[in-house]
Amino acid sequence: MSSEVVRELRSEEFPLADEVWRDYHGMAADPARDRIFAVFAGGRIVSLARCRRHPDGSMEVDGVFTPEIERGKGYARKVVRALVVACHNDDLYMYAVESLTGLYAEFGFISIPERDLPPPIRERYTWAAGNMEGAEVRPMRRRAGL
Amino acid sequence: MNPGYPLVGTRNRVAVIAGLTALALGGNLVGLFLGAPEGLLPLPALPLAIPIILASYWYPRRGVIFSAGVAALYAVTVFLLSPAVPLLAYTILPRAVFLVLVGWVVALLATRLRESEQQMNEIIEFLPDATFAVDREGRIIAWNRAMEEMTGVAEEAMLGRGDREYAVPFYGERRPLLVDRVLRGEGGGGVLTEEAAVTRLRGGKGAHLRFTATALLDAKGNVAGAIESIRDVSDQVMTEAALQNAGRQLNTLTGILRTDLSNRLAVFYGHLSVGVMKFDDPAVLSFIDDLNDAANGIRRQLEISRAFRDIGTSPPAWMPVQGTVMQAAAGLPFENVALEVWVERLEVFADPHLGTVFVHLFENALDPATGATRVVVTYHLRPEGCAIIVEDDGIGIPETEKEGLFAQRPEGYGHGLVLAREILSITGITIRETGTPGEGARFELLVPPEGYRVV
Repeated sequence: MSSEVVRELRSEEFPLADEVWRDYHGMAADPARDRIFAVFAGGRIVSLARCRRHPDGSMEVDGVFTPEIERGKGYARKVVRALVVACHNDDLYMYAVESLTGLYAEFGFISIPERDLPPPIRERYTWAAGNMEGAEVRPMRRRAGL
Repeated sequence: MNPGYPLVGTRNRVAVIAGLTALALGGNLVGLFLGAPEGLLPLPALPLAIPIILASYWYPRRGVIFSAGVAALYAVTVFLLSPAVPLLAYTILPRAVFLVLVGWVVALLATRLRESEQQMNEIIEFLPDATFAVDREGRIIAWNRAMEEMTGVAEEAMLGRGDREYAVPFYGERRPLLVDRVLRGEGGGGVLTEEAAVTRLRGGKGAHLRFTATALLDAKGNVAGAIESIRDVSDQVMTEAALQNAGRQLNTLTGILRTDLSNRLAVFYGHLSVGVMKFDDPAVLSFIDDLNDAANGIRRQLEISRAFRDIGTSPPAWMPVQGTVMQAAAGLPFENVALEVWVERLEVFADPHLGTVFVHLFENALDPATGATRVVVTYHLRPEGCAIIVEDDGIGIPETEKEGLFAQRPEGYGHGLVLAREILSITGITIRETGTPGEGARFELLVPPEGYRVV
C-alpha cells in the first residue's frame, strides 16, 4: 500500500493542482489568494481542496475534487479536514455540491440562506438567480474555531 | 541617461546632412541641366527626405525650419529650371509640402523621444545610490551623480566606454561586474545581488559595497542592457561587527561572573548542608530552610542568564515557519499528543532562535498537568499583521495567571515564556495568550506586516 501524505501545497506546486483540476471546471490556482491542500498517494495528488481569500477578506472553500478513479477511499474527507484545521481562524463559506453536504456537515458546515454569503462569493452563482436547488449547490458556512 | 554615445559625432552629423542635401539637390540640378526625360519632370523630391529625416531626428528643434528651407530650395530650382509644362507649380507644391511634413513629423517624434529619455535621465541622475547602466554590448549609457561622487570619475569620461571600463574605478582593472552576468542571461530577469570589499574607494581606505543589478528589457522582453546600483554599506557592516564584538565581550564577562557565582553558590549550599547536620534547633533549621529557598532563587536566575546569553548575537533572517516548528518539535516527547502544523508557505523575519520560542510553547503544552492531547499551529492574516497561533486542548491557563505569564518570576510557567517574548521582540513580534480556561491554551504571535510573507 502506498504511503499517504496530507499537506498544503507550496506555490511552485500549484501547477500540479491545475493539472488535476483540468477535469473539474478548469480551475486555476492563484498563489496570491489561495491556499491549496492535497492528499498525496504514491507521490501523486489524489484529492484537492482550495481555500480562497477574497478582496473583502472572506474565505471561500471550493475545488474539493478527487479524480474518478481515486474516489471511495476517504481522500476527500482527509483533505477537507486538513483545510478546516489550517483555515479555522476564519469563518469559511462555500457553495457545496448537494451530494457532499453531509461530508461538510461533519466538519461543522451548516446550510445558510444565499443572502448570508459574502458578496464576492455570492456573485459566482448569480447566473442561478437564486435557484440553488436547480444549480444543485447549497450555500454553507462554518464558524471560525477548531 | 545619455541617448547614446553618438554613432556619428556632432561635426560629422552636420557634414552628413550637408552632403546628402547637396547630393539630392545637386542630382536634381544636374538632371535639369542635362535635360531629364519628360516623364520624370518635375524631378522627384523623395531623395531630399533622407537628409530632412536625419536633420529632424538629430536636431528636432531646427527640423521644421531645415525641411522648409530644403523644400523651398527644391521648389524654386525645379520651378525655374524645369521646362514650362502645364500646372507645373501645382505638381511641385504638394511635393514641397510633403517634405515639410516629413520634417515636422520626425522632429515631433524625436522631441517626444528626447523628453522621455530626459525623464529617465533625471530619475537615474537623482537616485541616491550610485548607479550606472550599459547597453547590450556593455557600453556605458548612464553614470549618475552618486556614481561620480563614489568613484571620482565624471560621467563625460565614462559614457560610451565599453570593455568593462566601469570596473576600473573600483578594482583598478577591467573585470566583470554584475551587469556582465545579467547580459549573459543570469538572474532570469530578476535582481542579482552581491557584496564585496573594495580597497580603492574612500581614499584608499576601502569600502564594503553592496552591488545590485537587473536587466533592461526592450519592448519584446529581450535583454537590451543592464543597470547596476552600488551602495556603500561600510558603516552598517562595521556597526554590525562592533555590536557582535560587544555582544561577545559581554557574553564572556557574564560567563565569568556566572561561573564565579555558581562556584560561590556551591560553597553556600555546602555550608547549608553542614548547618542542617550541625544544628537540631527547629528555629535554626527553619532559618536554614529559608536560606536554601533564597539560594534556589539565585540558581534559577543564573539559569535564566545562561539561557539568554545567545539572543541577538546573530542577525535576524527570513525563516520558514513550518521547518522551524517541525525542527523545534523533533526533540520533544510528543508521544500521546498529536501535533498539526499548517504554516507551510509562511516565512517570518525573526531572530534565528525562533525555534526556541516554539520549544518553550510546546514544553508548556506537553506538561502532563495540562492534559493536552492535541497541539495545532496555524496562521491568521489580519490588518495589523500575521498571527501565528499555537493552541492546545488542555486545561488552559487560568485568568488570574494570564497577566503575569510573560513576567520573570520564580514559579509557574517558568522563564521559558520570558525568553520567548525577548526573542520575538527583537523583530517586533509580540506574544499574548488568548485561550479560554478549561478549553485550552492559545498563544498568538503577532508578526508586523513587514515581517512576514506567504511565499
